[in-house]
Amino acid sequence: MDTDAPAKAHRVRRAGRKAEKRQKNSEDADTKQRNPKAFAIQSTNKLNRAFRRAQDVKARKHHIPVVDRTPQEPPPIVVAIVGPPKVGKTTLLNGILKNYTRQKVSEIKGPVTLVSGKHRRLTLIECNNDLTSMIDIAKVADLILLMIDASFGFEMETFEFLNICQVHGFPKVMGILTHLDSFKQQKTLKKTKKALKHRFWTELYQGAKLFYLSGMVFGEYQRTEVRNLCRFISVMKFRPLTWRSTHSYVFADRMEDITDPETLRVEPTCNRNISIYGYVRGTHLKPSTAVHIPGAGDYRLHNVSFLHDPCPLPDRGDKKQRRSLDVRERVMYAPMSGVGGIVYDKDAVYIDVDGSNNTAESQQQNVPETILKSSIIDSSKTIDSKMEESKVSLFTGDEPLSTEQAESMINMKMPEEEVVHQEDGRVRRRAVFHDNDGDGREDSGIDDSDDEDSDESDDEFYPQDEAQDADNQDEEMDMETETIEQEDEDSDEDVVEGSGLNWKIDLREKAEKAFIERQSSSVNLQRLVYGAVQEEEEESGEEGEEELRGGLFKVTSNEDETDKKRKRNNRECSRDLSKMIRDWIDDHEARESITDCFVTGNWGEGEDAKTLLDQDDEIYGDFEDLETGDVVKGNDSKTTNQNEDEKEDEIFDAHESKKDRESRMREKRMERKRKLKEAFDRNYDVDKIGGASGGGESTLFDNVKRELNEQARLNREEFENMDETTRVQYEGFRPGMYVRLELRGIPAEMVQQFEPHYPLIVGGVSSTEENMGFLRTRVKRHRWYKRILKTRDPLIVSIGWRRYQTLPMYYMEDHNLRQRMLKYTPEHMHCWALFYGPITPQGTGFLAVQSISGATPDFRISATGTVLESDCSTQLVKKLKLVGYPYKIYRNTCFIKGMFNSPLEVAKFEGASIRSVSGIRGHVKKAITNGGKEQGPSGAFRAMFEDKLLMSDVVFCRTWYPVQVPKMYIVVSNLMINKKDSWQAMKTVGQLRFEQNLKVPVNEDSLYKPIVRPEGRQFSSLVIPRALQKELPFKSKPKYLRGKNQTKHDKLMKKAVVREPKDRQIAALMNALRTMDKNKKQTKKLERKKQMAEHKKLLEKQVVKDQWRHKEAKKKIYKALAKSEKKKSKVSEE
Amino acid sequence: LEIAMSVLEYEGSNFLRQRLILSTLSGKPVKIKKIRSSDENPGLHEFEANLLSLLDRLTNGTKIDISVTGTTLLYRPGILIGGTLDHDCNLERSIGYYLEVIICLAPFCKQAVSCTLTGITNDHADPTVDFLKGTNLPLMKLFGVGDDLELKINKRGASPGGGGEIYFHCPRVNKLRTLNFTEPGKVKNIRGVAYATRVSPQMPNRLVTSARGVLNGFIPDIYINTDHLKGAQSGKSPGFGIYLEARSTKDVILSAECNSLPKSENASVDPEELGKRAACALLEEIHSGGCVGSSSQYLAALFMALGEQDVGKVLFGPLTPYTIEFLRHIRDFLQVTFKLEAKTYSGDQMGQNIGSSKVLLTCVGVGFSNMSKTIR
Repeated sequence: MDTDAPAKAHRVRRAGRKAEKRQKNSEDADTKQRNPKAFAIQSTNKLNRAFRRAQDVKARKHHIPVVDRTPQEPPPIVVAIVGPPKVGKTTLLNGILKNYTRQKVSEIKGPVTLVSGKHRRLTLIECNNDLTSMIDIAKVADLILLMIDASFGFEMETFEFLNICQVHGFPKVMGILTHLDSFKQQKTLKKTKKALKHRFWTELYQGAKLFYLSGMVFGEYQRTEVRNLCRFISVMKFRPLTWRSTHSYVFADRMEDITDPETLRVEPTCNRNISIYGYVRGTHLKPSTAVHIPGAGDYRLHNVSFLHDPCPLPDRGDKKQRRSLDVRERVMYAPMSGVGGIVYDKDAVYIDVDGSNNTAESQQQNVPETILKSSIIDSSKTIDSKMEESKVSLFTGDEPLSTEQAESMINMKMPEEEVVHQEDGRVRRRAVFHDNDGDGREDSGIDDSDDEDSDESDDEFYPQDEAQDADNQDEEMDMETETIEQEDEDSDEDVVEGSGLNWKIDLREKAEKAFIERQSSSVNLQRLVYGAVQEEEEESGEEGEEELRGGLFKVTSNEDETDKKRKRNNRECSRDLSKMIRDWIDDHEARESITDCFVTGNWGEGEDAKTLLDQDDEIYGDFEDLETGDVVKGNDSKTTNQNEDEKEDEIFDAHESKKDRESRMREKRMERKRKLKEAFDRNYDVDKIGGASGGGESTLFDNVKRELNEQARLNREEFENMDETTRVQYEGFRPGMYVRLELRGIPAEMVQQFEPHYPLIVGGVSSTEENMGFLRTRVKRHRWYKRILKTRDPLIVSIGWRRYQTLPMYYMEDHNLRQRMLKYTPEHMHCWALFYGPITPQGTGFLAVQSISGATPDFRISATGTVLESDCSTQLVKKLKLVGYPYKIYRNTCFIKGMFNSPLEVAKFEGASIRSVSGIRGHVKKAITNGGKEQGPSGAFRAMFEDKLLMSDVVFCRTWYPVQVPKMYIVVSNLMINKKDSWQAMKTVGQLRFEQNLKVPVNEDSLYKPIVRPEGRQFSSLVIPRALQKELPFKSKPKYLRGKNQTKHDKLMKKAVVREPKDRQIAALMNALRTMDKNKKQTKKLERKKQMAEHKKLLEKQVVKDQWRHKEAKKKIYKALAKSEKKKSKVSEE
Repeated sequence: LEIAMSVLEYEGSNFLRQRLILSTLSGKPVKIKKIRSSDENPGLHEFEANLLSLLDRLTNGTKIDISVTGTTLLYRPGILIGGTLDHDCNLERSIGYYLEVIICLAPFCKQAVSCTLTGITNDHADPTVDFLKGTNLPLMKLFGVGDDLELKINKRGASPGGGGEIYFHCPRVNKLRTLNFTEPGKVKNIRGVAYATRVSPQMPNRLVTSARGVLNGFIPDIYINTDHLKGAQSGKSPGFGIYLEARSTKDVILSAECNSLPKSENASVDPEELGKRAACALLEEIHSGGCVGSSSQYLAALFMALGEQDVGKVLFGPLTPYTIEFLRHIRDFLQVTFKLEAKTYSGDQMGQNIGSSKVLLTCVGVGFSNMSKTIR
């Protein structure tokens, strides 16, 4: 970027801490030598990995090399100060201005340009909190100072702005934390700082620079802190951004209304002519390119001129190397704020006395001044341009020239031709009404050329370096094209043998020589190609004279037809048929003239084989053959050369003084040394030239870099010493030039509502980008945006320079690349979008917002994406199902009605595949026509299915219906209104419904209704034939599960099993064992039964016994009882 | 758009191709008036209409308005799409006339162009397909148009009957390389091809012998292929011709060619004469010199102007009228002005016999990029 002065050589410390450290390190190196085993290769694998890693690390550091296209004097770097309101933007801007210029500006409006260093200028601008401003700033700023209020934390605007930056190429961003003095406790301050820093890093990249402005002193930031910030700014390096390096743009620092005051008085709202001033940035600005002014629209540059730089870099011619800038060199230029005092215009210098005159209010007051300016601008052109014009008109052919030469030439030439044409003309005039008569013209054509040849011989007498002559010659050469073509058609031999036409060939040769000679001087060449073009004027004059006769037919007067006119309709051929071919067989002079074009001819001094050999000798000189020990002397070319030199010197001695001779000798020596050095470099120092890493062979990367450096050098040097006007003609206005752009037909509102706080950008667009087309883009709804986006809802898109409202259609790509329309964007996925707009280069990022007006606490950026492709048509489709009903069913043939309306429609769908609801596939065969056997309604057709349909079936045909992307394109013209942040865009349907309190219309057909089945329908069970069952895969085979009342044996299939002998043995054994086991179990069971029975019997016996015993016991008791009672009664009786 | 696209206006049928090529590339519409307005056969001719239809197929969204009389043409270019296409070229002009247009446009299409053109492959007026294959294709490669650039001559067809067929394949590029080509070097060898269709197989040999006769005096390293075609491959009309190219030590290719006239012209040329004429034309071309042959100058100029925004330099021989007109058109459409410097003998080349004076063309490219290409 900056052309660095050769850096001061490093002085190595000889004493002190560093010297000691180095001493210690060198000792460490010794240990490696002392103990080589410890550092020997232990494992090749490890080494391999280490080497690979080292290479990876090295390769990762590489960026793709680009040609450095920055000019010698680059345009000022745009530094934008961005942040939410009340964060301290203006304070910082003031601080920076004060730091650089030691001036204080009362009110800053618009950009301020200042010189920040010996090689760098800055354009500072404060960005207000408006979405459009933020977008514009992100498009032009090189460095962004993103201010964050630490006491509050991040605000939505900050994140929005970062997202805007991301899609527009991401300029350098430096965060600045302010309001740090509001923290009372050191610990909370530290914590907040850390938290904010890490959040900032996740948003940008790890380690992104975040600056802290600790607090205010007397309403300003601390001087040391601002100075440190400025140092960061002045050493910042920038990588070119793709969009900006391919488009030229002007970030306007001044705008003037230059409309004619009279028209303004008559109609105050007439379209205005304005001039815009600023530095060209990006790439070369070509005059009369189309430009887009974000917020205003597309215009074409009417005029571009470069002006004196109002804020020049310090003069580098100064020999003294000073470290800091002089006070006089600290220039500040801010015309919109009224700073800078002097305003340069195309042809005048204005000294501003009373500050700014750009605001809308002051516009009315300053009318007289504007009149003065505009009148000057309108009336006069620069002297340069006048001079140029006068030259041009002098050499214009169709004007009656004052010079005698020209007059005589025309006089001599015209009459002869006119005679020819008059004859010719009459014939032709008739030809318009009747048949054409070609032969006559053909003949006369040849005559014509003869005449012309004689003319040319006359021309030879005139001075040949005049453009007029050159141009005529050019045309005559083209006439020759015709002639020769005719000759060619007649006979080819004529040209070579030329027995009869020898004189003619000679003439032509002369003419050709003259033509080529004209190309031998650069000035003539330029004029020959780009010189005065006079045809158009002439033509317009002729057209006026044409008269209408008989209404329909036009009478063309052939008398006026000139050579040029005929040349216009010549046969087009890229091969130069007019070229005269010399006789190379016999013409020795001609043969001589190209002898050195062949390898067999003489070579140039430097590349002659002999010289090259000599050179080698000089380089390799004497050497000793180590094997034989011979010393080979280089053949004494040096000495011979010296001898020759001496000889030459002797010759010259007589003529020149000693001093001259010495200087000549020195030059010669220097030349020889240079050549030697070059040869040496070629052989050994390849890497050094390209500035590649030292040592090792040059890599691809180094080669590419070297080539690009070479190209950059060529770019710089090619037009360096040219004067500016010619240079502009070749290059266009190169970046860094201060230019004045003139635009016509700008709406009056743009001037009336001009607001310097809003950035005014004039972005150049290439001619292809003017055309409209459909942009295919990849898009993702922003994850912080609250809603999903609906297809065909208007969206404001910021893409390239442009900002416009359009109707995107979202879609997904099917596996076969079919573009299938989506109604809404997917929630967390990318999708594609198609919209109508100007063609944009692929890879350009864009962002979309729903509305730029109104305040919302939510995140405003609704989607971001990139352009994939531009085209003039789209392939967007949506699914459409056609429904039909069978009305007659044969076995597999079926007649279907209701799908189409006419046989023509059916014809379009012949062969289309259709499907019934039950999944039976088929295809459309042929429409039913009246003449056929089968009858049906119009649009009915015969179809074939793979199985028999039922009358109750419904048949579908799945088709893809192309969807049109609406061609809507509305430029967001928010610069044209008073409140620039409230531009009302086209509303979405939902928004309108909400505002007007309307319900969403409901389509009755789309509602779900209960399914009503006809009564009494019996669905018989599906029967699959056994043969088919066999064929089916297991999955589809009917599975018979065992019913409740089926035994296992019913269900299982009985298989005859033939066993192997061993298996049989095993089986027999197993069987025997099983039988034995069974038997055992059986006997056991029986035994048990028996035991049980016995036991039962035993128990029964026991029970009987017990009962008896009980009986006996009872008997005894009762007996005893009865006895005692008797006794008692006896006693009582007694 | 809010501004009406400025329509460039021209008159006359000449240089139609230049205007259409540049219009298509730059996207600027062009209006051509008074096309043979005072001719017996006014308006666009069949071959020009054929060219327009070819362009229509090569592009998407192109609008072509031709007035009732055919004397006015309004061409609004769309986007170049390319792809595979077959085209029957009109027999009034040879395939070269159409192929020159395709060559200029093909690198900037949406898809790689692979087209099959049928018609006249070799005639006496337009550059033949051999010429384009031998001279223009290597030139395109210098500008960075990929490696699979291919031109295959399937069948040859002489005028007036035609019946030839070629296959042309061109990859798409994103950007062209900036070319710095100012050292023409010295001619090291001469190669070429002599061909004949529907005539005696002796013809090519006779052509070669006579051409060698002239050229042997200058350089011994000459090798000329003969290509005699029979049957279906030989088209519908008899004809023969020879194409010669001189290659230099710095890979400059200068070429010349000569073809027999159609039979109907009643002018029989004997092959010896034709061979000599071709050799003389080649020597003339060497005399003109430069790094680009005289018939390819326009292509080099176009690709220089379309290159990246760097300074490109190419040494030309004396400019042909066609090139001069092309340079003017480039200024109109692309706003690129070339710096033209006459190079007379100087420095190391002092006192050498290297033909006529040369022209050094220098320009800053417009940074043209392939806008129709798709990225994924």
